[in-house]
Amino acid sequence: MSNLPLNINFTQIFLHLLNFLILFAILYFLLYKPVKNFMEKREKTYRDMDDEARDNLKASEEKKAQYDTKLSEAEAEISQMKSKSRQEIEKSKETQLQAAKDEAERIVREAKAEANREKERILSDAQSEISEMVTDATEKLALKATAGEAFDQFLDAVDLAEKRGSDYEQ
Amino acid sequence: MDKKQKKTMLIIFGVIAVILLLGIFLTSGSSAGEEESVNVIMRDAVLHNVHKVNFFGIEINPGLAAGFLVTAILTVAAIIIRIFVIPKFTLVPGRFQSVLELLVGYFDNLSKTNSPHLNKIMGGYIFAAGVYIFTGTMLELFGIQVITTTGASVSLPAPLADINGALMMGCTSYLFIMSGGIAANGFRGVINTLKEYSLPISMSFRLFGALLSGALVTELVYYYSHLSVVVPVLVGIMFTCLHALIQAYVLTMLVSLFYGEVSEPPKPKEKKIKAPKAKKAKELTV
Repeated sequence: MSNLPLNINFTQIFLHLLNFLILFAILYFLLYKPVKNFMEKREKTYRDMDDEARDNLKASEEKKAQYDTKLSEAEAEISQMKSKSRQEIEKSKETQLQAAKDEAERIVREAKAEANREKERILSDAQSEISEMVTDATEKLALKATAGEAFDQFLDAVDLAEKRGSDYEQ
Repeated sequence: MDKKQKKTMLIIFGVIAVILLLGIFLTSGSSAGEEESVNVIMRDAVLHNVHKVNFFGIEINPGLAAGFLVTAILTVAAIIIRIFVIPKFTLVPGRFQSVLELLVGYFDNLSKTNSPHLNKIMGGYIFAAGVYIFTGTMLELFGIQVITTTGASVSLPAPLADINGALMMGCTSYLFIMSGGIAANGFRGVINTLKEYSLPISMSFRLFGALLSGALVTELVYYYSHLSVVVPVLVGIMFTCLHALIQAYVLTMLVSLFYGEVSEPPKPKEKKIKAPKAKKAKELTV
């Protein structure tokens, strides 16, 4: 073995190998693996935090979208209610206007009827007055005046009565 | 630091430098290093046939002893870190935690990038190999002394400056690459790995050559006392720190690349579209 060139010695090579394998095992299990595990764990922690933040962001965006939808729905509902109430107001206004018109027509109609009744009453009163006057005039003529005067008085009385009647009509 | 403190520091530094220089020149005549010729030292640095260290009755090269020491140091450090540091890790890392995470993250990323199909254990392997090469090479800088079987004192070299250590690292890495090929592609993975038959030798001797060259130059510089002022600082940085980084990087990169290559699943064959025969084509045209 010792006759190999460069003083190569297999015993020493194996001792070197044993030494290095022990060192490898120690460094791997005591240093490399724990540090690597810690680094991976920390990376995982930060990745989880990142994922969580992304999820939170996504959830908040979804909520925002929901709120926006609700808000737009509420706005639509409000505008719908506004238009409905406007329509109701219009309807109510029309109804009230119609009622007022009807009332006005009724009042006018009643007034007209009352006026007609009053006219009728005045006319009848005038007729009865005329007839009384005619009767009176006839009696007076028959008792005091001549036939010619009586006839003139009669005509005057008739004209007066007609004139009164036309005034009442107006 | 105010002017007065700076002045004091400079004076202390100058005094220490003068004392060291005096010590170097006064003791240069009785230096133990000069008991051996530079040829012997160089030859021993390459072949490790002079100085041996006793390890429970077995004579081993100083490089292997350095390997054991590196393992011991790293084991203690790993246990301390595992017990006292890792349980106190926080989501926002401190300085030391950042360094550890940077190191582990680098090798993990290297394994995932170069071998996306199979990388479960590869990150751990290249982490261990990189740390071993780096720490082992940096150990040279401390010049830890051991007593050899001949009673002489030698400073521990880098574990992979020993040919046996370099061969172990190259061959183990090759076998590890082959294991990845087998795990991913079975027999096809073995064939894919065997195609790169020169890989264990090239990896081993690259490591050996690179680390040995640093060790040789450093030894040469330290051998001559007049070169051992200022020059070792540059040499130490050039041949130790840079080699420690570069060789750790090169080996881990190569292992991850080849591991990824042999563990890559085979691409599905594209169906060949048969061209219509000439006769049929003629009929069609008519």
